[in-house]
Amino acid sequence: MTADNAAAAAGPAPVAGAGVIHDLGYRHYDGPRLGRPGIIRALYWHSLRSAFGIGRGAKAKIVPVLMFALICLPAIVNAIARAQHPGQSPIVNYDTYTYPLRSLVMLIFVAAQAPELVSRDLRSHVLPLYMSRPLRRLDYPLAKLAAFTAACLLMLEIPLIILYVGNILSAGGGSAVWAQTRALIPGMGVAALWAVLLAAIGLVLASLTGRRAYATGMIAIYLFLTFTLSTILVNVAQQGPGGPKGGPFGPNAVEPLGARLGGLISPFSVLDGVRQWLGGTNTSPIPPPGSVGFLYGIMFLLLLAASLAGLAARYRKVGAA
Amino acid sequence: MTAPPQLRAGPGPGDAGTAAAVIQTEALTKRYTSEVTALDGLTVAFAPGITGLVGANGAGKSTLIKILLGLLPPTSGRAVVLGHDAAASGERIRTLTGYMPEHDCLPPDVTGTEFVTHLGRMSGLPATAAKERAADSLRHVGLYEERYRQVGTYSTGMKQRVKLAQALVGDPRLLLLDEPTIGLDPAGRRAMLDLISRIGAEFGISIVVSSHLLGEIEQICDQLVVIDGGKLLRSDTMTSFTQVSQVLLIEVDEGIAGLVADLAARGLAPRRSGRRGLLVRIDGEQTYDTVRDAVADLGLPLNRLEQQRRRVEELFRDNGDDEEEER
Repeated sequence: MTADNAAAAAGPAPVAGAGVIHDLGYRHYDGPRLGRPGIIRALYWHSLRSAFGIGRGAKAKIVPVLMFALICLPAIVNAIARAQHPGQSPIVNYDTYTYPLRSLVMLIFVAAQAPELVSRDLRSHVLPLYMSRPLRRLDYPLAKLAAFTAACLLMLEIPLIILYVGNILSAGGGSAVWAQTRALIPGMGVAALWAVLLAAIGLVLASLTGRRAYATGMIAIYLFLTFTLSTILVNVAQQGPGGPKGGPFGPNAVEPLGARLGGLISPFSVLDGVRQWLGGTNTSPIPPPGSVGFLYGIMFLLLLAASLAGLAARYRKVGAA
Repeated sequence: MTAPPQLRAGPGPGDAGTAAAVIQTEALTKRYTSEVTALDGLTVAFAPGITGLVGANGAGKSTLIKILLGLLPPTSGRAVVLGHDAAASGERIRTLTGYMPEHDCLPPDVTGTEFVTHLGRMSGLPATAAKERAADSLRHVGLYEERYRQVGTYSTGMKQRVKLAQALVGDPRLLLLDEPTIGLDPAGRRAMLDLISRIGAEFGISIVVSSHLLGEIEQICDQLVVIDGGKLLRSDTMTSFTQVSQVLLIEVDEGIAGLVADLAARGLAPRRSGRRGLLVRIDGEQTYDTVRDAVADLGLPLNRLEQQRRRVEELFRDNGDDEEEER
């Protein structure tokens, strides 16, 4: 590819460099052309950059940069604390990674940046121009989804890597490093689940409107409302008649069914429910789902499938218009 | 405008397809619902050069363009663009074709250069080539320093130029321009038409330019395709359009009513043109003789006798009924 680029650049360059005749007339292009996969890749990179405001003005970078700094903060604090007190156990876990902060940061990031990827194009009616390119109808949402998932992955995984580096720098001996590595891997897996689901939900909601503010509001309200509702449900159920046996945070605590089901409403608690169902043992504000854990797995797949189907349906329609 | 035909037929992009029709449709039909028929058995060929696609709003122009780009499957019939079947090889066609939509399609918060470069990438150009061709395309459409400004600050004319530049950036063999003069003032229209004419003549790119204003695009076209209600009204070269559109203007100071009656009796179909003028269709040398005899017999003071080339638009307006009969 780079050789092709070089060849393409080398072609007309000498003529332009001559600098004598300025109006060269029309020149046909006979250099290499990227096929459909190459175009999708170009759109992917373009979209990934715009998810962080790269290639945009300074204003577009404020939210993503701020959110990135915020989500890295626990890992950095952990690294400093560990450096000063090497004996201390890690204060941040790989798999939960300060669940409330992570939820809040990702809520803002998705609500602010998903519209950047899709709503702008809808607003300015630029889609017919993409459709007039050698792309198929679903290539555009595919590239956008891949790019935004990657953007969310960067937001979620880079803090984990900082956390990991901070931990192994202060870890004594190979076995400690191995233990950290073994803890990191499921943490990365959980972060990947977050990225896949949140990116899909964010994009499908953002693709419904060309108005950025509406799209941001819609995503934020959906994520925040379900989060709040689920928290309330869990709290109410915990205080209800079938209350906790052995205390809500006891090692063998079994939460009442209502509290264990309450998390199914919100994507964030669904993600944490899936983590616990898959064997995550670190505690979080989401009660361990126990025997209904599989429901969290099903809910995750349902939310993801609905978002992807919605996105496909949306762009089948927009593409035809 | 009569550009020498050899310019248009000049060294094209070198494909066997250019010798034949650039676009060919056979009984092309598109029905959206059982009531809404956008195209109705359209069979027509577009030769290389500049072709005007003319029809009223809703005549099926935009539907035809979408089918040609392979974006819309026809209900029946087929379309072949640059030798490729539109329904089967849409991607290939879109590699070779530039499309300028009718409506606004520009994001306001990027510069002209960024926008056209990105769409160059979307046309399959590698990064460096996309940058170079974006600069070239913007220069060809007449945007220089402005190209570093945000599109939102552009005038309507400049926006139309950017739309044209993004269609041009992928070095297409064929350009489909949907109402390129829409929203422009007369000077802007003139400039846009000149630009299209130049691209067709000098760049060796075949162009289909759609418009609901026949009079506007007839000056730059080699060929006209007129559709109405999804059906072909007429398709012909400009030369044959203008041949049949030769008319004779007769201007007399008085007695015009008598002259109308007399000419009608002699088998001509005169139409009033202004207060003292008459128009008759020229059907060869004898038309002049007939008019001369009529004026002489009535003893009218003849002011002016002038052969005119009517604009094609008038031809359609005047002979709408005739066209129906011819079909």
